[in-house]
Amino acid sequence: MIITKIYRWFVLIMLLCISTLVGAQHKLSGIVKAGGSDETLIGATIEEKGTTNGTITDIDGKYEISLSSANATIIVKYVGYTDVEVAVGGRSVIDVNLEESSIMIDQVVVVGYGVQKKSDLTGAVSSLKGKELERVTTPNIEQALQGKIPGVYVAPASGQPGAGATIRIRGTGTLNNNNPLYVIDGMITEDASSVNPQDVESIEVLKDASSAAIYGSRGANGVILITTKNGKKRKNALLSLSTYYGVQEPVKYIELLDGAEFAKAYNQLRGTAYYPDPSIYGKGTDWQREVMHSAPIANIQFGANGASDLISYNFSANLFDQEGILKNTSYNRGAFRLNTEMKLKPWLTLGNNTSYSIIKEQLGPNVVNSAYRIPSVLTVEENGTFTDPTFFGLALSNPAAEQYYRSNKYKNGTQLLGNLFADINILKDLKFRTNFGYFVEDKKEREILPEYQVSASQINKQNSLGILREGNINWIWEQTLNYLKEWKDQSLGILLGYTAEQRKFEKTGAGRLSFPGVSDELYYLSSGNDTTQTNFGEASDEALVSLLFRTNYALKSKYLLTASLRVDKSSRFTPDNRTGYFPSASIGWNLGNEEFIQRLNTFERLKLRVSYGILGSQALTNRYPTSAIINSGLNAVFGTGESVNQGATQLSISNLKLKWEVSNQTDIGFEAGFLKDQLSVEMDWYRRFSYDIIADVPIPAFVGSSNYPFVNTAEVLNTGIELGVNWRKSGTFDYNIGANFSTVNNEVIALAKGKNEIFDAIINGEPATRTTVGFPIGSFYGYKVAGIFQSAEEIASSPKFGNEKPGDIKYADSNNDGILDAKDRVYLGSPIPKITYGINFGAGYKGIDFNADFLGVHGNLVFNEKETSRFAVYNWEKHVANAWTVDNPSTSEPRVTNGGHNYRPSDRFLQNGSYFRLRTVSLGYTFPASWVSKVKMESFRIFLSGTNLWTNQEFTGYNPEFPNSSSPFKVGFDNGTYPIAKSFQIGLETKF
Amino acid sequence: MKQLINTINGFSNVELRFKMTKRLLIIFTVIFSLQACSEDFLNRDPKGNLTAETFFENEQHAIWATNAIYANFRSWEYCGLPYLGATDIVSDDSDKGSTETDGPYLKEVDDFQFDATNQTFSTIWKGHYQTIARANIAINRIPDIDMKAELKERLIGEAKFLRAFNYFRLVQWFGDIPLVLTQLADDQYFSQKRNPKTEIYTQIEKDLLDAISALPERSKYKSEDLGRATKGAAKGILAKLYMLDKKFDKALVLCEEIIKSGEYSLLPNYNQIFTQAGENGAESMFEIGAVALQASVVGSGATPYNMVQGVRGVPNLGWGFNRPSDDLIANYEAGDPRRQATIIYVGEVLPDGSTIVQDNPEILDERFNQKAWVGSHPGLQDNGPGNIRLLRYADIILLAAEAANELGNASKALEYVNMTRKRARGTNNFILKDLTITDKDALRTAIRRERRSELAMEQHRWFDLQRWGIQKEVMTKVGKTFVSNKHELFPLPQTEIDLGGGSLGQNQGY
Repeated sequence: MIITKIYRWFVLIMLLCISTLVGAQHKLSGIVKAGGSDETLIGATIEEKGTTNGTITDIDGKYEISLSSANATIIVKYVGYTDVEVAVGGRSVIDVNLEESSIMIDQVVVVGYGVQKKSDLTGAVSSLKGKELERVTTPNIEQALQGKIPGVYVAPASGQPGAGATIRIRGTGTLNNNNPLYVIDGMITEDASSVNPQDVESIEVLKDASSAAIYGSRGANGVILITTKNGKKRKNALLSLSTYYGVQEPVKYIELLDGAEFAKAYNQLRGTAYYPDPSIYGKGTDWQREVMHSAPIANIQFGANGASDLISYNFSANLFDQEGILKNTSYNRGAFRLNTEMKLKPWLTLGNNTSYSIIKEQLGPNVVNSAYRIPSVLTVEENGTFTDPTFFGLALSNPAAEQYYRSNKYKNGTQLLGNLFADINILKDLKFRTNFGYFVEDKKEREILPEYQVSASQINKQNSLGILREGNINWIWEQTLNYLKEWKDQSLGILLGYTAEQRKFEKTGAGRLSFPGVSDELYYLSSGNDTTQTNFGEASDEALVSLLFRTNYALKSKYLLTASLRVDKSSRFTPDNRTGYFPSASIGWNLGNEEFIQRLNTFERLKLRVSYGILGSQALTNRYPTSAIINSGLNAVFGTGESVNQGATQLSISNLKLKWEVSNQTDIGFEAGFLKDQLSVEMDWYRRFSYDIIADVPIPAFVGSSNYPFVNTAEVLNTGIELGVNWRKSGTFDYNIGANFSTVNNEVIALAKGKNEIFDAIINGEPATRTTVGFPIGSFYGYKVAGIFQSAEEIASSPKFGNEKPGDIKYADSNNDGILDAKDRVYLGSPIPKITYGINFGAGYKGIDFNADFLGVHGNLVFNEKETSRFAVYNWEKHVANAWTVDNPSTSEPRVTNGGHNYRPSDRFLQNGSYFRLRTVSLGYTFPASWVSKVKMESFRIFLSGTNLWTNQEFTGYNPEFPNSSSPFKVGFDNGTYPIAKSFQIGLETKF
Repeated sequence: MKQLINTINGFSNVELRFKMTKRLLIIFTVIFSLQACSEDFLNRDPKGNLTAETFFENEQHAIWATNAIYANFRSWEYCGLPYLGATDIVSDDSDKGSTETDGPYLKEVDDFQFDATNQTFSTIWKGHYQTIARANIAINRIPDIDMKAELKERLIGEAKFLRAFNYFRLVQWFGDIPLVLTQLADDQYFSQKRNPKTEIYTQIEKDLLDAISALPERSKYKSEDLGRATKGAAKGILAKLYMLDKKFDKALVLCEEIIKSGEYSLLPNYNQIFTQAGENGAESMFEIGAVALQASVVGSGATPYNMVQGVRGVPNLGWGFNRPSDDLIANYEAGDPRRQATIIYVGEVLPDGSTIVQDNPEILDERFNQKAWVGSHPGLQDNGPGNIRLLRYADIILLAAEAANELGNASKALEYVNMTRKRARGTNNFILKDLTITDKDALRTAIRRERRSELAMEQHRWFDLQRWGIQKEVMTKVGKTFVSNKHELFPLPQTEIDLGGGSLGQNQGY
């Protein structure tokens, strides 16, 4: 039936077209190319001056037009290029070369399932070109985004080589997974760790409902579209080779008590002269310097890029090698990419984007915490063997020994990521695309533990091998129909689509003990003792099918309208709650094209836009949240033979009523260009209101559940402003300054029925965060420190818990009821930065280029959790050297204690999380073309660059960024994260 | 435009039109064939797990669900350090032990300086309520399974016994507590009130009476099922409940039923009870089985109970917590061999003769609980293989003595109390002579002393002191700052009060 309809359509269009054919005609054809290259321009408009007659170039840049007379004049236009007028003068073939305009008014940006002209966009989409990412020396594209885009907050997960980043687009909108969706060349993924930043053509961040609603149930946290490079038309392939080498150092060391200070503090703790003369311990050991070192980082990339009329290709090969600043950690990656496109028929194009990565990681233990804790009076080695640190009765290991013995742990992984697609032109304006995206990952981990004994607790009696194999196989198959029609004054785009996807995960592990030797070659399962064998395995899967619809309409390039709808059905919910509808609508007004604005002669361009939509979130780690799982392995031992009897039961509670989490998003924005578009400004106000938020809300323990069930619960509001300002001046001295700035105001509007508070982050028996109405998610919570008790009399006359001694913390009786108890805990601050900002500066002069990127966050606190955890005698931070004693009646630092009263969650452990950092700085020199052409090169550049070279922070730890990608209730806690590094690189880039 | 015209003209060309139609056909066939199978495509079940819909279908499932209740008795939340803190360490039987600074929360418990945030309370609370939840599932779901009636009755009986056992502990520790007997619905989590302890007593009694009628005597179990709840065990716990509730007559009846059943007897040698050979011995009324399988499968049969109390230093067998106190040592009568059998001293040869315990300079005057000691076993310390003895025959005999005395039957009381003394002295007639006191108060004191010596370091002392109502007197005597009308009960965990939405309330004084 549909076929008949389409046929009828054609007949209608045919009739319309025939009517335009009436009258005398001059036929003109030709090709439109970008100036000075072989690159043809697709979609350039050719208009007959003074008429409404016009056409656009086809996929090969060719056009054909029937003009009213042989003496007409044509105007050729293409976004980003200067318009050209040509008098036809009787010719029948005219090839036109368009010059790139100095002002890039109208970039084309990638949007979900298509592309759009920036001037026609009605949504909040930020675009970043690959060039802007090239100079950040990280293997991870997520980290490279830091400080680049307003409204996009990026915090590195840790300084571990190869680590990703936690990204928040427009705040923290949900109580569960707040990570954005990643779409890599159309393949939907949960992270972008497999993308080599140097392969990236552009990154688009879809921030509002209008742009992200096409991703429906997964768009609520924003969407990051990554497009990899494709072939550019040239006579010959462009080959490129670039490399850099650098050295990384810890950004800083935490100031801890040195040997003498520790011995003194320990004496104070015990109340005896355990160390008769503390001063003999001097500096002691700074364990941080024992477990960290300076480490190399290196990268080499080869590329080949080109295209002909029939085929385009981009090939790259990349080797990246990074050692971690913690000893025995490293990340090596070999990545290959081949993107091709083949025009098989005028109506058929086949293409693929394929990347294959081989990753090897050494996963030495993260000994940051034990290096922080182990007393500085101890030495690394004694008599040639590792020191036994249990002298202090510590259940603590020697971190240097830990690093030495437990580092034979490697993860080898391969990732195959890509897509295959076919474009079929059904009609000139109607295209069909079928796209098959895939992600296949295989990770193998091997850990060999030797026999060793450092102390009674740091011991391994039998050598062992453990292996773990994890695999993901995900695929998406998308069918989309795209109709795009442009008339003189109007344009209409319609997208219809159907997608299906499936994700599967499987994990298998095994281990044995007692291998017959120490050589790695012996460590394969069968050579271990078979009576010690263990194994385990698990799997999960999920599926999603969706229908897509979007339409764009533009009138006179002034009035713009976009509407979209996605219908998602997910396997995660029961059939009754499975389907979700996610609509959006937006309008735009290109004021810059209105005469009354043009008369002002102020704006190069000016656009207002407003959008509203409903997006969803199903981003739970649990793929079966509505199933009540029966846990097995709950075994009981019975009988004289002590045999293990299998047991199983339901431990966790499930919620069959669970449904989609929803977010209403509003965006009002404007874009403007001034002074020949040298100055551009983009500003957005947004409101994200999330409700029916899915969360595993803590429930009382008397319920007896081992897990917290997922429920549709809270409502959260994020509002904020984003501002991006760029100044770009071209000339012999080129420079640009950009600044981006965004605010987030996060507020919980409601929690579940009958539930006013969510407590989490239990520290020493009390919650350190409380999520409650009117405050940000995961707000810090606890006691306020009012001072230090100086005397027994002061204690007697003050509200107290009851066991305080002189020198202990005096907590504030916040509710002034004269009693100090749990009711005196109050809101202590927010872990969410109120303001994030970035400043990017670039300049070029005669081949010299200079770039500097700064970024910062402001208005958040961090909780120094590592300081609160004391199972035994640990080292203390430097401030404890000033501890209260009778002779040193400090008013800020309590007496030396080891747990208990002074370690309750309080503002004592909160520090300012604001920082301002020079993220990257680089200085390069490109040799003049006249020189390099003599050696048949196109370009040759050398550069020096630095990463994280300077940071202004108050925080005493390594780096005040503690995102938590899995729980918003425990963000901003420093519990020994792998420190980030600063690095200094030298490199070169050649093209030939 | 011309291209479009060509295309349109093409429709008059039969061959071209055919091609166009074919393209469209392919496309739409693909789309609609995908749509058609979407519901099947979207139905996904958890891999490798039964679900609540597929469980409780057969006899096997009923057995598994019952076994799972026992399994939780071996968890850290159930029998780890917090449990020892809330039983022995808090009492006068033992001190925290270990190194001075290890486990500060237990030091707070030992010294009565704790508050509601102390992890001791949240841990035992959680461990016991999770066990209760497992029992509730078994009790509520097994009745609908089509299976052998006899087995079904027994399994439900076991679950009821285990539920009662857990509530009995909780009510002694915390007093009024929420009584949860089913899987709570999601609107009940934050509005639960605490039930008065009398209601808890009533439920415990009801569950135990059901268990007594449903469960077989120990001798009726096959040898491979030894360790499952028995009629005798249920009577024993019920007797304890009656003692707590001062229903001495009912308690004495139950104790004597147990004694006369012939199911149990005192082992000839006190030393044997806590050895590997003594596991599930003639004296055992209820114990939780544990076994150390190969090291790499830690957890499937082991407990942390042995590790946390193990000798710390040389040899290094554990963490060295729960140090038998000076006051406990003073309680033993001269020459009582039970002191040596209960305490490991420095310089002592370990029971298996393997080595001599050496002095550890980091621990002042260390001693260890010999009743938690285990010999060499596969795996590391955390693979503890020792069965946890929860109810012994000697306990019941001494309860009978106590009840008889309270009822004014001194001769019967003496008969029972002298049974354990006789066993303890063995062939040495110079020690632990038979008691002959007939004065009720004096005999009460003597029975209590005997009970302490017999059951020391077996986690009974705190409950006994509470039952006798002499916590304040005893704690003050050993120098602890016990506050009356407060410390008799533990505080409800602060996290539970915070999570409970304010409907629970706290115990007096906290």
